Amino acid sequence: MDQLSQAAINGVMLGGFYAVMVLGFSIIWGVMGVINLAHGEFVMVGAYITWLLSKQLGWEPFATVIVVFPVMFAVGYALQHGLINRVIDRPYLISLLVTYGLSIIIANATKIIFTATPRTVDTAFSGFWRVGDVTVPITKTIVLIAALIIMSGLHLFLQYTRLGKSIRAAAQNREAARIVGIEIKYVYAITFAICIALTAVAGTLVAPTQPIYPFMGPPLTLKAFAITAMAGLGSIPGALMGGIVLGLVEVLIATFVPGVGTNLGIVSSFVILVVVLVTRPQGLFGGLKPAGAH
Amino acid sequence: MRTLTEIWKRYKLGPLVLILLVLFLFLLPLPRWLAPERKLVSNSLLFSLTQLFMLVTLASDWNMTGGFTGYIDFGHAVFFGIGAYGAGVMMAKAGWPFVPALIVGAVAAAIFAVLIGSATLRLKGPYFSIAMLGTFVAMREIVRVLRPITGGGSGLTLPPYLNRPLFYYVTLILAVLVVAFVWWLRRTQFGATLVAIREDEVGAEMRGINTTLHKITIFWIAAFFTGIVGALWAYQNTFIDPDVVFFESRTIELVMMTMLGGLGTVAGPVIGVTVIYWLRDILWSNFLQFHLLVEGVLLIVIVLFFPEGIMGLLNDPSATSLGRLWGRYLGEGPKDAYQSTETETSV
Repeated sequence: MDQLSQAAINGVMLGGFYAVMVLGFSIIWGVMGVINLAHGEFVMVGAYITWLLSKQLGWEPFATVIVVFPVMFAVGYALQHGLINRVIDRPYLISLLVTYGLSIIIANATKIIFTATPRTVDTAFSGFWRVGDVTVPITKTIVLIAALIIMSGLHLFLQYTRLGKSIRAAAQNREAARIVGIEIKYVYAITFAICIALTAVAGTLVAPTQPIYPFMGPPLTLKAFAITAMAGLGSIPGALMGGIVLGLVEVLIATFVPGVGTNLGIVSSFVILVVVLVTRPQGLFGGLKPAGAH
Repeated sequence: MRTLTEIWKRYKLGPLVLILLVLFLFLLPLPRWLAPERKLVSNSLLFSLTQLFMLVTLASDWNMTGGFTGYIDFGHAVFFGIGAYGAGVMMAKAGWPFVPALIVGAVAAAIFAVLIGSATLRLKGPYFSIAMLGTFVAMREIVRVLRPITGGGSGLTLPPYLNRPLFYYVTLILAVLVVAFVWWLRRTQFGATLVAIREDEVGAEMRGINTTLHKITIFWIAAFFTGIVGALWAYQNTFIDPDVVFFESRTIELVMMTMLGGLGTVAGPVIGVTVIYWLRDILWSNFLQFHLLVEGVLLIVIVLFFPEGIMGLLNDPSATSLGRLWGRYLGEGPKDAYQSTETETSV
């Protein structure tokens, strides 16, 4: 029983990270119809910026958010202008391959700069809560709380600000949005920039809880895809639920199936993905548009 | 001779097939020049040509589902891996000779294609692509976990067999066989149905075509050939482990090569593989550190500016992205924007 509640707590904590990691992927897909296969690489880049700042300058890892967010915002804006804009209206194969090329470039550039050695980030908040027999690492609690704050902030932004409303309008009907005077190119660039910045912040959050290495991206991208397909494009509550489901499944398998460890996490997310896609292609939570329209 | 001309006309044997045939006849006696007294061909050239033939076969296999049927498979290398591991396990663990082990590997790949295809081939567009990418990554982890059978992360060592000319001949014949098969396929009712599925799947279904059955059939055929290449590769390499066999970019490089040559054309994969293989040779020998980086850049450049491929350029230069750029440069004014990656199929 203790083992079960421990696993459940760990699963929810992991799910919090997945939820915040998946938001950027889900919104980019929902708003511009681009499936960003370099998504996991942006998580990795965020984690590396955090590692660099905390190792070289001695910053508190969680405080590096104030650097990671604006830097990656600028990177996202530039990338959208230079590259992603060129693939938005083209067949999905083009955008998949271009973002895959991007992921190869980012991962290998990171490997050349920082070598393939896994890195760990130390934080001042390394301790445990004890609730009964269940131990909860403080870092993971911070990650979960930060994830909830980010998601509510993003929800309020999309729901109530002018820019957030134009992003949703551009997602629902691009032509109509253009008619009422929304600058589509600008909205797309801002959306991409925000999403990339959020994704990198997810990297900052995960850096103190697990080792980071240049090729950590592709499994994260696949998990983001599985969660998004399950949750519906651009749906924030869906991302939270999907993230927690995936986190729970992963941790429960690692805890109760002997001898497999965490490696089968990707297998379980894949099985969930195929089952959901075949049985309920529109996703479980609705979202920006039906999942059938890529 | 009259019948020969008729065949020529009827099947539109373009000059490209002729070139391929000449190339084949030229490549056939190559190992005999290896004899020590005539130092014309080095052992390493023979090896890299063997790799080239394997890639031609793999790219043609990928082209069956990706190019003709329009189902972009991002995890095709999973069948390569199953072929390699199927043969590898039978040889290293059960002590089988190579030929039956190869058959086991190829059949295992085909059976897996039927099983996974009957689920994933019902998905559309990017969902299929990513589901197959997921299959690929998941299979690597499964192979790693099944330690008692596959040796896990430490891999399997196969009995060494260093007969370069034999591998050369086998892969050459396999490549020619597969390219000829694709060429023949394109001229059958079955091949036409596949193209119909690519162009308009709902329409094809309305005409009473069982699209799922057609997709699964071509999927397992492609997987079968891919499995054979996987088994040959494993035997030639004499060592397999999950990271070497299920190498990340193994599928995407096939997509890149096929696209450079021309998606959905018979000669496209052959041309694309040859060009990229040659380019990569230059990259490897000049920037070993950066070669993957450069490959990523190359992928983006090809996809953005050259999606119709070399075959598209040969067929109708003005319809390609490059052609339009050139037209704009000559001052013919901007034509309509991008239309479709799929070019009309021809040899």
